[in-house]
Amino acid sequence: MSKIAVTIDGRTYEIDVRQHAADPTEFSATVDGEEIDVYVPGADPSQPIEWLVVGRRPYEVVFDRNLRWVQSGRRRHHLELHDMESSFARPVSGDGRIKAPIPGLITRVLVEPGQQVTAGQSVVVLEAMKMENEIRAPRSGVVLRVDVQPGQSVALDAMLVEIG
Amino acid sequence: MFNKLLIANRGAIAVRIIRTCREMGVAAVAVFDEGDRSSLHVRLADECVQLQTPGGYLDGDEILRIAKQTGAEAIHPGYGFLAERPEFIRACEEAGIAFVGPPSGAVAACQAKIDAMERVRAAGYRIPVHTRTALDATTALNDEEARQLLDQAQELGYPLAVKSCSGGRGRGTRVVEEADALIESVRQARRETGNVYGDRRIYLEKIIPGARHLEVQVLGDSQGRILHLGDRDGSLQRNNQKMVGEAPAPNLAPAQRSELWETALGIARLFDYQGAGTVEFLMDSEGAFYFTEIKARIQVEHPVTEMATGVDIVREQIRIAAGLPLSLAQEAVNMRGWAIQCRINAEDPWNHYLPSPGVLRRFRMPGGAHLRVDTYGCAGCAVPVEYDPILATLVVWGEDRDLAVRRMARALDEFTIRGVQTNLTLLRQIIGDSRLAGGVYDTSLLGRLDAAQPESDKSERDLAVAAAVAYVLRNQAQTPVIPERLFSGWHRASRATS
Repeated sequence: MSKIAVTIDGRTYEIDVRQHAADPTEFSATVDGEEIDVYVPGADPSQPIEWLVVGRRPYEVVFDRNLRWVQSGRRRHHLELHDMESSFARPVSGDGRIKAPIPGLITRVLVEPGQQVTAGQSVVVLEAMKMENEIRAPRSGVVLRVDVQPGQSVALDAMLVEIG
Repeated sequence: MFNKLLIANRGAIAVRIIRTCREMGVAAVAVFDEGDRSSLHVRLADECVQLQTPGGYLDGDEILRIAKQTGAEAIHPGYGFLAERPEFIRACEEAGIAFVGPPSGAVAACQAKIDAMERVRAAGYRIPVHTRTALDATTALNDEEARQLLDQAQELGYPLAVKSCSGGRGRGTRVVEEADALIESVRQARRETGNVYGDRRIYLEKIIPGARHLEVQVLGDSQGRILHLGDRDGSLQRNNQKMVGEAPAPNLAPAQRSELWETALGIARLFDYQGAGTVEFLMDSEGAFYFTEIKARIQVEHPVTEMATGVDIVREQIRIAAGLPLSLAQEAVNMRGWAIQCRINAEDPWNHYLPSPGVLRRFRMPGGAHLRVDTYGCAGCAVPVEYDPILATLVVWGEDRDLAVRRMARALDEFTIRGVQTNLTLLRQIIGDSRLAGGVYDTSLLGRLDAAQPESDKSERDLAVAAAVAYVLRNQAQTPVIPERLFSGWHRASRATS
């Protein structure tokens, strides 16, 4: 079960989402006290959702890579997602927030706030699964904040560094 | 009739011409540049030859060489590229290869826009108020020329349009609201037209406020017979490209319509017009219409007339080029019901309509009765950055206008294109606009569409749920895998460096 607050064009909905274990294309969502069945054909995590059925209503959609908007019919809707079960504002990397892709130990921090970085530049070294992994900047920019220090253990998706 | 015809074009129009060739039993030779090698027009042709020179589809010498080498007896230029280049048409005429289009002299006469308008005015037809002299702006605009222009503009009155003497396809046209903006607009127009046409001459034309853009499709054969295939409305333009067209034009009185047709035929006769062409007019809010120009080629909008009349215009073009008479008489041209066309471009409505090249990941066309899609698109095919972003034309027909509008609305809803951004959302808004549904609109509608109809609360909530589900799914992709791609934020460092 995940609890997510979705703000669409300025209006916020709190939504519980549960994926059915028996059939990963089926989801149950609870919003405003109403339970809605959701069917996602294919339901491939590596592919964007192209269409889905919410309740009895089918929608063809285009989602932004970072879930910042969704297009359907004649319009594009602005989205803001907030995972209410973790402290991270935005789930997806690629928007300048660099998060831990696996749990591990921070061995080195290579940047500090205010520093200019270029895309591909290493920012943090994270040891996990007996390997040191260089975490690189997804894009160029200025380091806005560094949330970790050497020796710190981090959980999956923990915020490491933000680039703006 | 020809045995073999070369199509000096690409994309949707090349595919469309090949279709008629095959139906006529004429072998089609496709040409392509390196980027178009796997394009649909290459696959559908009987023969295909790669263009080897940097000029590509614009290299007339190379196209003629390929025509001779493959034994093609005729060249169809489609629209754009070599369609209205008198020197290329002359080269075809000299080489003994039939050019599918008007003779070089007629094309040159239609292209000299000021002379053409004056010729039409002398014959007693109305034309927009414009400057009689072109500014040959091959030199930098000096103070004297600038003052002359400002004087001319003052005399015409604002708002006015800066137009290219040999323009077309919307290039080089600039609307000027006030004197302050005139000189800069002229500079821009000259740069643009010089780049496209190699002709930087411009003139000024008075804007007709609230005008509708009306046009009449004409056909003329080499025996001197000229007929029309009725009218179209092309008022809904963006960047001077017609986004939506319909045939017939809505809200014309029968007397107005027949006057429009007769005027178009009269003007075409002035130019001894041969081949397919479009006589274009502006109609003011009083219902008076003014000749603007003749488009001496097949147009992007031709399928809407084909749907309304049942006449294959490309087939008639090829017959005319082969010296055959028109296959039907004026009395046999029967406009029935209503046809509407939308131009689907690969462009990003959320990013200033910049072209959106890429690879089509999904391409699902609408279906059903009385519907036609002209396109080179299919899943997996490339939309190259080098060319016009036109991806498809969608045309529907209905027994009346109301049905045609509703059919277009549902066809647009059905059309699914993924991989590039398209103007489909804009087209859905246009077709859903109350003024379009009522048939009462002019060239200004695109600037003031109904505010996007709000989604119902329920569908807004449904989309919020969809986003939450997308988020949950997305997180699964991140959990189990250790990505190795650079931009996923991962890279394997060697132990030796630590």
